[in-house]
Amino acid sequence: MSALLSVEGLRIAYGQTPVVHGVDLDVPVGPYGVGLIGESGSGKTTIARTLVRLHRASAGSVTFDGRDVLALRGRDLARYRREVQIVFQDGDGALDPRMPVLAQVVEPLAVHRSVPRSARQERAASLLAEVGLPEEVMTHYRHQLSGGQRQRVLIARALALEPRLLILDEPTSALDVTVQDRVLALVERLREQRGLAYLLISHNLAVVDRLCETSVVLYGGVVMERGPTARVLTSPRHPYTRALRAAVPELGVQRIPLTRVSSGAPERARAASACAYVDRCPLAVARCRTEAPVLRPYDGREVACHRAEEADNLAVDGLATG
Amino acid sequence: MSRPTASRPARGRLTARLHRLQRQPLLTIGLVMATIMVATGLLAPWLAPFPADAISATHPSAALLPPSSEHWFGTDGIGRDILSRVLYGSRISLAIALFVVTVAGVVGLTVGLVAGYVGGKADALLMRVTDVFLAFPALLLAVALAAVLTPSASHAAVAISVTWWPWYARLARAQAASIRTQGYADAARVIGAGWVRQLARHVLPNAATSVFVQMSLDAAGIILTAATLSYLGLGAQDPSPEWGLMVSQGQGMATTAWWVVTFPGLAILLLAAAFNFIGDGLQTVLDPKRGHR
Amino acid sequence: MIRIRDLRVEYGDRTVAHVPELDLEPGSVTGVAGESGSGKSQTALAVMGLSRYAGATVSGSITLDGEELLGKSERQWRQIRGRRVAMIMQSPRAALNPTMRLGTVFARTLRLHGVPRREVAARMSAALEEVVLSPAILGRYPHQVSGGQAQRFAIAIVSALRAKVVIADEPTSALDVTVQAEVIEVLRRLRDVHGTALMFISHDLAVIGELADAVIVMRRGQVVESGPTAQVLHDPQAAYTAELLAAVPVIGGRRTT
Repeated sequence: MSALLSVEGLRIAYGQTPVVHGVDLDVPVGPYGVGLIGESGSGKTTIARTLVRLHRASAGSVTFDGRDVLALRGRDLARYRREVQIVFQDGDGALDPRMPVLAQVVEPLAVHRSVPRSARQERAASLLAEVGLPEEVMTHYRHQLSGGQRQRVLIARALALEPRLLILDEPTSALDVTVQDRVLALVERLREQRGLAYLLISHNLAVVDRLCETSVVLYGGVVMERGPTARVLTSPRHPYTRALRAAVPELGVQRIPLTRVSSGAPERARAASACAYVDRCPLAVARCRTEAPVLRPYDGREVACHRAEEADNLAVDGLATG
Repeated sequence: MSRPTASRPARGRLTARLHRLQRQPLLTIGLVMATIMVATGLLAPWLAPFPADAISATHPSAALLPPSSEHWFGTDGIGRDILSRVLYGSRISLAIALFVVTVAGVVGLTVGLVAGYVGGKADALLMRVTDVFLAFPALLLAVALAAVLTPSASHAAVAISVTWWPWYARLARAQAASIRTQGYADAARVIGAGWVRQLARHVLPNAATSVFVQMSLDAAGIILTAATLSYLGLGAQDPSPEWGLMVSQGQGMATTAWWVVTFPGLAILLLAAAFNFIGDGLQTVLDPKRGHR
Repeated sequence: MIRIRDLRVEYGDRTVAHVPELDLEPGSVTGVAGESGSGKSQTALAVMGLSRYAGATVSGSITLDGEELLGKSERQWRQIRGRRVAMIMQSPRAALNPTMRLGTVFARTLRLHGVPRREVAARMSAALEEVVLSPAILGRYPHQVSGGQAQRFAIAIVSALRAKVVIADEPTSALDVTVQAEVIEVLRRLRDVHGTALMFISHDLAVIGELADAVIVMRRGQVVESGPTAQVLHDPQAAYTAELLAAVPVIGGRRTT
């Protein structure tokens, strides 16, 4: 299994504030899905923006098909942007309010001249049909589209260049469940038909579970746990993944009480060498404050936790008091 | 799926815009007024009862005749038919307005969009230059420039353009700077679109509305500034039928021959009003979110 | 408590919500499920007496402890809103004055609704304790707190006002799952400690399932199903409910890979 995209030791800062602290990540050649799971502040969107060169990395390397992505310039960068496309979370913002839908799907074809001018409109129209949009949508502007339609337009636009890797940044989090279901089914179909590889960024474990072979769980800009989705999400070993898993509401299961409610008190100052999750972790010991755990193999996946073995004893009710 | 044609979206947009136009009475009135003035300017040789009076003829014997069936607007101090001169004068005022808006608009938009969207050093440099121009009071700068150049209507237009573009640059910069952080700007970057495409296809269409609206609102101000320059003797020179010049010539006799100053003044007012209506209305019509209810 | 009968919310001749019958009982959570355009938020606005601001007309009957609410004047509504029927919104931070410390907002709200001055401090600290917020939060500005803290703060206000009926419109939709779980826990306490009648509106049936005792499912302004939560979730009668349930992704459920 050779990696199409390989991220190593990626560090990213916003101004002076580091937000991603050394992330490793591989996406194999498609059809394959990698899920990047994290909540707000985990750095997942920052990673996505850095991968498409909208944001600068402060350290580390990103390799795509043997090329050093972070060093790409000019024509090489343009070629990379043809091969790696992103679907943004905010379908509303990512569409130009003054450009009709068809023109926005034609645009990537025009930029890269990958299709002769005379055939571009037809090609764009067939892409829109492929993502299941009715013909009349072509002349519409973004404010005339529903949330699901916007997301489909973004996907059609991303597919126009026939990318080898698609980055999906929370593609369905703004959508109703039935619409989300149809968009996910669309991703499934494209994956099979086009042999697509994708990095799916989401806070929704169930979405990742459905679409991704591999899962990477991110907290505070650090990978907590990663491995086969079936293992990571079905039997999480890291205390954070467990808490995340326990917090996901499940149909027809009324668990009481769900979780510990953390107080609004400011967190204690944490040493740079401490585990990122130490302040919220019910298993934290002194060692967790002085020595950040590194990813190590355990139970068929990798976990960054000194006490992963003990986490087995951490029943759901252990999280319950507060 | 039938083959889409390029003309269809465009036509759809045009009909939608025309449709919206119907619901903008002020805009319609403004457009009608402006059209009439442009038409009368163009047709002045045929409409004006005494075309020669707008150019060089003088009739001292017929000086300061009040409005009558022969001279609807009366005559001025050297016997020229004021109606004829006002009709011809709209050519000059409109030409000045058009020239200034075009020149200042193109320069201002270019400078502003590049500064705001590209940012960084380009922004710092371009905006310093803009600030230098803004530092001088506009009218004073125009007066100074017009004084250096030989006084004429076209030099006045050049002088006004020089003082006018920094305002458009500022406006366009603010728009472009906010577009820079929009999702669709990122979306254009990640498909590999170059600066020129980003600016022309995404930034300009989204930033231009407010500048266009400002331009049409400004047309009135430009005409008034041109009139002021003429009035100060720095713009159009006699025998030019420029309205501002006519007002200044008639001002001394406003109490004895009110018509000399009133009719050109009224023409200025009407043209200014027409463009104000257009500017206000455009604001609504150019907003793609309107007109779908 | 709250009895809704044949409630219709209309824009002109278009009915955006029709609820034939819905009761909100003390100490019980009623879930209102539906997607965008289902009429769930329109129903909430009607119960809050806010429909007129959205330009809608409301007919039918909404009674609070036997007192008819429809047709009340804005002045009368101000005596009801906040004090007897309170609302929790999706993004409370947007509703908070950014230039005011949370403590000021809290105290003013209580004073506005007639809480005696000497009781204000005690009520605030008790309510903060209920939602597990440190009193330090009172000294902060809205931008200095997280989304989950802001939502819990909103619940603290509602609790301190002793509102009998609370309408929560998508209160957790903007939050991360772990934070969502905290907010649900706090709402559950509100119900259990104060016997509040809670109307919990969400597009997510799984979230509703966590908390609600009964649920109504709305679609295009109509109620397509209602009943005890367990029954609706496990044995849906309406095809649409089944469709909604099937669309909720489940861990260990359908997999592509």
